[in-house]
This record gives sequence, C-alpha cells and structure tokens, in this order.
Amino acid sequence: MPLPAARDWRAASVHNPSMSAAPTIRVEGLWKVFGPHPQRLVGSPDADLSRSELRTRTGCTVAVKDVTFDVAAGEVFVVMGLSGSGKSTLVRCLTRLVDPTAGRVWLGGEDIVAVGSSRLRHLRRTKFSMVFQHFGLLPHRRVIDNIAYALEVNGAARDVRHARAHEVIALVGLQGYEQAFPEQLSGGMQQRVGLARALAVDPEVLFLDEPFSALDPLIRRDMQTEVRRLHRDLGKTMVFITHDLAEAMKLGDRVAIMRDGAIVQIGTPEEIIAHPVDDYVADFTRDIPASHVLSLGTIARPLATGEQAAEVALPAATIVRDATATILAADGPIRVVDGTTEKGVVGATDVLRLISGEHR
Amino acid sequence: MTSPADGRQRWLTLLGRRWVLIVLLVVVWWVLATLLRGIHTLSLSTATDTWFTALLRELTAVIRGNRTESPVFIYLFNPIRVGIEGFIDSIRAVISVPAPGNLIPLMGWLGTLAVIALIVYATSNLRTAALCTALLLGCLVLGMWTYTLDTLAMTLGAVALSLAIGLPLGVWAGLSDRVMAALRPGLDLAQILPTLVYLAPLALVFLIGVASATIATMVYSIPICIRITAHAIRSLRASPLEAATAMGSTRWQLLTKVQLPMARRTIILGINQTTLAALSFVVIAALIGAPGLGKPVVEALIIRDVGDGIVAGIAVVLLAIMLDRATTAAVVHTDEVLDMTEHQRRLRRIGLVVAGLATIAAIIASRYLMWAAVVPERLDIGEQVGRIAGTVVTWITTNLGFATTGLNEFITVTVLNPVEGILANAPWYLTVIMISVLAAIIGGRTAGLVAVCLLTAIVVIGLWNDTMITLAQVLLATVVVMVVGVVLGVLAGRSTRVERALKPLLDAGQTLPAFVYLVPVLALFGPTRFASIVCGVFYAAPVVVRVVADGVRGVPAEMVEAATSAGSTRTQIITKVQLPASRRSLMLGANQGLIFVLAVVVIGGFVGAGGLGYLVIVGQSKPELAGKGLAAGLAIVLLGIVLDRIAQSGGRSRPTGQDRWAPGH
Repeated sequence: MPLPAARDWRAASVHNPSMSAAPTIRVEGLWKVFGPHPQRLVGSPDADLSRSELRTRTGCTVAVKDVTFDVAAGEVFVVMGLSGSGKSTLVRCLTRLVDPTAGRVWLGGEDIVAVGSSRLRHLRRTKFSMVFQHFGLLPHRRVIDNIAYALEVNGAARDVRHARAHEVIALVGLQGYEQAFPEQLSGGMQQRVGLARALAVDPEVLFLDEPFSALDPLIRRDMQTEVRRLHRDLGKTMVFITHDLAEAMKLGDRVAIMRDGAIVQIGTPEEIIAHPVDDYVADFTRDIPASHVLSLGTIARPLATGEQAAEVALPAATIVRDATATILAADGPIRVVDGTTEKGVVGATDVLRLISGEHR
Repeated sequence: MTSPADGRQRWLTLLGRRWVLIVLLVVVWWVLATLLRGIHTLSLSTATDTWFTALLRELTAVIRGNRTESPVFIYLFNPIRVGIEGFIDSIRAVISVPAPGNLIPLMGWLGTLAVIALIVYATSNLRTAALCTALLLGCLVLGMWTYTLDTLAMTLGAVALSLAIGLPLGVWAGLSDRVMAALRPGLDLAQILPTLVYLAPLALVFLIGVASATIATMVYSIPICIRITAHAIRSLRASPLEAATAMGSTRWQLLTKVQLPMARRTIILGINQTTLAALSFVVIAALIGAPGLGKPVVEALIIRDVGDGIVAGIAVVLLAIMLDRATTAAVVHTDEVLDMTEHQRRLRRIGLVVAGLATIAAIIASRYLMWAAVVPERLDIGEQVGRIAGTVVTWITTNLGFATTGLNEFITVTVLNPVEGILANAPWYLTVIMISVLAAIIGGRTAGLVAVCLLTAIVVIGLWNDTMITLAQVLLATVVVMVVGVVLGVLAGRSTRVERALKPLLDAGQTLPAFVYLVPVLALFGPTRFASIVCGVFYAAPVVVRVVADGVRGVPAEMVEAATSAGSTRTQIITKVQLPASRRSLMLGANQGLIFVLAVVVIGGFVGAGGLGYLVIVGQSKPELAGKGLAAGLAIVLLGIVLDRIAQSGGRSRPTGQDRWAPGH
C-alpha cells in the first residue's frame, strides 16, 4: 500500500484512496438523536452544544452526529472511540438495529435506511452479519445450531445448514465443540462461535462491535490475530468497533476516531500517528509505539551534509520496527526508496529518536 | 452541596422525628380512646342489616331469581358454567368419579397411580416418579384416595384452563409494555384480594359447585401465571435477542426460537407456582362446593373434629409435595437432558417403553381385578391415624392446656383486648382520623387520603365495628410476623447454614394451603381470636423471612467488608449496615406480611375469630345474611387496599416478579 504523506483527512480520507473499486458501504450524513423530537436537532446549531447542556435544554442526546465515510470492498475499517462516543450506536445504525434519525447508509447500492422490514431481514440473513461484544449466543442451542441460526431462519434445510456450519467451524478452529453448549465454552471460544455464526451466511460485510473487549488480554491478542488471518483468507469487508487504539492500529486499514458522536479524524494508522488532527487524537496516540506503526517513508530525511549513506536500501512502506535490525547492522543511515525514487535516509539515531518519543 | 454524611445525619433526624411523632400520636389516641370508650362504636349484631347490606341482599335475591330468565345468564354465565363443569367432570370421570352404576371410574386406583407415575417419569426422572408414587400411596393408605383424586382432578383442570389463558397473556405482557400496563392494575388487585372475598359473588353467579370453585381457582392462579411468564420474558439477556434480530429473525421466529426457549426455565417455574396456588385454592373452594380434600377439612372445622381434619390435612400436604416435586423436577430435567450421553438417552428410551407397557398392564388390571380396582379396606389406616391425632390433641389440651390456654389468655388480655379497645371500642371518627393521620405520616399524603376515603366508605356501608375487630387481629399478627421475619431473615441472610436449616420449613410454609394448619391450631387454641392470629403468623412468616433474607444477602459484600475493616461489631454491622441497606426489602416484607396476614385472619373467622371473616362465612350459608356477607367481603377489600397503600410507601416502586408472586388466601 503506498503511503500518502500528510494530507487534509477531511478532503481525502473519507474515501479510501488505495481502493479504486466502488465502495461497499457509503455512509452519508448519518444522525442518531435520542429523546423527544429528535428530527429538530439534525443539522441545527444546538447539536454542537455540550452533552449535558443539550440534555437540560432539549432532553435529547446526540449519539451520532453527521457521520460520513466510505468503506471499500475488502477493507477493514475501524471505528475507535471511548465509551459514550457513539460508536456502538453508529454500528447499530448501519445494521438498523437502531433506526437512524437522518442520513443514508448505502450497502452495495441499496439504502439500508430506506428498505422495508422484509427486505431488511433478507439483507440481514444474506448480505451482512454482526459480532457482538457480549457474544449474544443462544444459551439453549448447541454450538452448531447457534452457527446455523441465520441459515435456519432463512429456511435452509437441516443438513444444508449443518454442512455449512461445519465448514465455518473448521474455519475458526472450533472442531470438536459442535455439540457443546455456549456456557460450557471459555469466553474466547464463545466469541469464535460468534465469529463463525457471522461468517456462516458468507456475508459481504462483517460488523464487529467491540468483539474482544470482554476477553482477557492474551486471548484478545489471539483473537486479533485470528481476525487478521480470516481477513487475509476470506477478504471480507469489515467494520470493526473498538475502544482500544492499539487494536485499531493493529487491525485497521483505516481508522475513524469518534468523539461525542462525531468523527474527528479518518486515516490510515500511520496518518493518525504521524499527523494527529488535534490534541485529543494526539493524546490518544501517545501510548502507541510509533515504531510499530510508522513506515520508513514517513520518517525519512534528506542526507545530512558530510553524512555517508549505507549501500542498503529498503522500500518506503517498511514499518520501522521491521527495519530496525537492518538499520542497526548498516554502517550508516540506510536509503529509503519508493520504487525507483529515493525518499531520503533513516539512521540508527532516527530510530532511537522515534522510539524515545522525540519524533512527535 | 451537602456531603453524604450530612445527608444521612439529616435523614436520621428526620426519621427520629417521625418516630417521635408517631409515638406521640399513639399515646394521644390511647388517652382519647380510653376517655371516650364505648361511645359511637357503631357496633352491630350479626343479624342486623344496614341500608347497604339490605340493598345487597335484595340484589342477590334478584340475581337468584334471574338465573333461568335473564339472557345474560342464559347465553353467557350458564354456558360457561356448563362448559367448565363438563371439562372438570370429564377428568373426574377418568380418575375419581364412577359413572352411574359402575363401581370404579374409567380406571381403578392402580391404573391411575401408574398413569401419574408414567407422566412424572416422562417429564422428569425415575427418582421423582418413585417419590410421587410413594406420596400418592400415602394418600391412599390414609383412606383419602377418592378425595385426593378429586382434588387432583380439580387442580389439574383449573391449572390447564389457567395456563391456557395465563401463558399467552403473560407472553404478550412480556413483549408489550402497553399490555403490561393494561393488565397491571388487575394483577395488583389480585395480589391484595383475600381469596375468601370472591367466593360468594362467584357462587351467586355460577351456583355452588364445581364451576364456581374452578373459576375462583382460576381467578386466583391466572395472575400468578401472567406475572411470572411476563417476568420470564422481560428478564431475558438482551444480547442474544439483539444478535437474533441482526441475523434476520422475524418477530415470530424471535419468539419461538429465542425468547420462549430462553425463558423456558422460568416459565416452568411459573407453572409450578400456578399449580401450587391452584391446589391451595381448590382446598379452600370446598366452601363453595369443590369436591375433594377440602371437604373433610371444612367438615372437621365445623364440627371441630380434629382427627378427621388432620388426616385430610396430611393428604393435602402429601399432594402438595407431590405436585411441587413433579413440576420442579421438570425444570431440572430440561437441564439434565442436555448433558445426557447417547447411551443414557437409549437407556431412558427403553425405560420409558417398559414403563409404558407396565402402565397399560396396570390399567387393564385395574379394570378387571378387584384389588386393583377398589382400594382394599385393610390398606386403609386413616381411621387409626385420625384416632392417634385425636388422642395426641386431647393429651396436649389436657396436659399442656395451662401453656396453650395460658398463652392464649395472656396475649388476649394484655395485648389483643387493649388494641381492639382502641380501634373498635372508641368513637369511629376518632379511629378514622387517627388511622388516616398515621397513614399520612408513614405513607405520605396519598396514603392518608386513601385511608380517609376508604375508611369512611366502610363506615357508610355499616361494617365499621367488625372491620376494626379484624384490623386489631391483623395488626397484632403483623407485628409478630415482622419480629419473627426480621430475626430469622437476618440470621438466614447472614449464614448459609441457618438458611439451609430453614429452607424446608419455608418451602412447606409457602407450599401448604393455609386452610390446612387451621386444623391443628384450632385444636391447640380452641375457637378464639388468638388461633386466627397464630394461623396468620404461620402463613405470613415464611414470606417475610424470605424477603428479608434476600435483602440482607443482597447487601454488597464490599459494604460489609468496609464496615468490618472499620472495626464494627457484629451487632453494629447488622443494625448500621445490613438492615438500613436492605430497607427496601424490609418495607416489602412488611407489605407482604400485612397482606398475607389479612388473608388468613379473615379465614380465621371460620374458627371463631369473629370480625369480617365470620360475616363472610355466615353470609355464605344463610341466605338472609347474604347481603352482610357480600358487604363484609367488600370491607375486607377496602381494608386491604388501605393497608397495602400504607405499607407500600417505603418500598416505593412496586416490585415485580419473584418478590411478590404469591398472594394470600
């Protein structure tokens, strides 16, 4: 993936520049207001009041405020925000578990907000599926019947849906647990069932609502790796909600950061680390090790006078962490190339500076 | 802003002041009542009518006259009566009532026993089936076989009808807030309505007999079924529902594939409660002609023959345990089946087939072999048991009479008579004003207003004095219930050992029909007001203990740990942390205690406690007093509402579900 330099995210990053295909999901001006007469607040200046002030004045809460973005086919789009930032409401608006107050959600050319209930059910059964923070497994059904549920409500015959369930069980590594009940499984295994269930209908889009927040850190890491692997193997479009920036950076092709219902920045992990749009985002990113996210291209500098570059050259897209060994071994700053063009050099001191946080 | 400590301080002073105020008022009241003793008490002899009771009596006469003429009867009430009678009688024809000219019903006792055992086995397990068989055999050797099966038939029939109405309504109320809101007033009223009250009006419309008894039972058990079913649906975890919606379930699929299966355990528990409620009511419904075990109990109470009453009472207890175990085991069974291995499943299938064949053999045997058809007489030890019970009671009354009679007289003279003196022997206006002011202090302005209006209404319908006699007993019994309930409840809440020791007693207290322990209490204390108070205490204490224990156990462990680490003694922890923190439960317990006590004290009218209950019961048996009986029922309801309003104030929001699902008799 080519690495864009600093850019005004508002102008460009709403769409993913690297994906030329038509977007799978397009969200336009989405609002969700809870409270009396929600319509009145859409687009009004009142919506910019602080939450508590708005509550006392109108009794309303703006959970999602004028959100617009595209998700390209095959992309992992992460929505990151603290609790109360509206991210869970946003994803529920995308699946119509919550009806948005205003705006459009295009999914493969169809406006989800406008479809009738039977069409919506059809879409839910075939086009997109969702993974939940608290798993949402049906306690009275065995693993296999949990996974086959969406196929069952869509009228698939028992052996057809079980055959498909066995396929996805193999896919997420649940073999041997088909006949277990959810309560007999650990949290991590339960969420594997949740994943398998979402994959069973072979959806075009997967919505994941903080799927790993309820898991222990080690298991969470395993599951993140699992999602990366699934994405690599299946190439599903994913919208992933999280409150954990490290998780966002690890999984996201692009990350949207939400605050008080609005998106404050959209960009690749690298853009967000390298060019946080305001102090709020910068504050967030402080704890993320920059060397894990930034690429050589971002930190490359011109050769200083009197400095001798090493023979070694690395592509600009290489993550700093992966280049560290090479840089330390070289007898001088290494050259950074983007195809045939030279982007500059990176030396051991540059890496150390970056790691010690001086870079920002 | 005031700090929390300031807030608590203020709250305590306020409460302190309130208590001071209440004590002052009571003292003033007592002085005034003593000074004005015997003036304007509105006391009325049983046979005297007031304008209102006369009106009601004429109304009953009109209704009686119209039974065969009015279209409402011909096209509505009478068909309902005939339909229900037919339904119940068809069950009885199978197990308990021989067709004319026949010696046995469709099946003899062996066949019936086998069928019941098979049903229990199929819905739970072999052990429970064996236990249920043993319990039924117990009823059989007590010589109560036919009575037992009549009660069983009535109960099952009423439960079937109650579930047919209650389950769908409960599910609907669980799904829709609007339906719940529409049903709630009815459900609430059903909880404070003492059972004795609606027997007479129902008997008036549907005649004395099976139909009235069944309908009364349904009126009693349907609200319980609705409440628990709605609670089961409403308390489901949200995330599986959301997930199932997100996967494209229709509402019907959501209901049948997700909500009902997930709520299944609680719903079966609701069926359990509905069944036990129906059983206890069927026993009482003997008063309006329900066949079965209630009959010998009522007869024993009338002629005060303890022996027979106790034998029937034991049979009721055995039947109650059997129904409780059978339905509870069905809940457990749903979990057991999930864990079964393939081998166990096959064994169970073989077992069921064998049991089925054995049942068929038993049915055939019970139709052709004498010993299997009619209970052999030499198995019947009912008479001996009755005689032993009679002897024991005689021995107790003669040898321990100084204790029972002494306690009875002591309480009656030192507490009951003075309380009754204040309430009933003072001018009515003084009592109305004082109760209303107290209600306003304890329960707020609305409670005070309700008290004024409803108490005045009782005065207007002319049953003031009897109401106050009942109220005196209710208050006294409630105080005892609260003391017992709080002490045992705190103990049980703090220690699992105590809780485990108390559990069988509490279970028994909640499962047994109140009617049953009227018999031994009557034997011990004679036909007195004290006996009815004792009954009230027995009946209400288990509920209060449960509610208080739950409350104490619900106090967060951190709170107790914090208090312990701050150096509190055990007493300080109880009085300063656990009781205040479970204040809501205490208020709920008081509310429940009052309502339960009222229900039973009214029944105590049957054993010479006087008051409203007595009027209800004589009204039942003597047409010329029918008006008075109905009016007394109305007064009981009004009194119940006043007490409920006052006691509810502390608990504020009305609790739903488990806390309050078992109303009183």
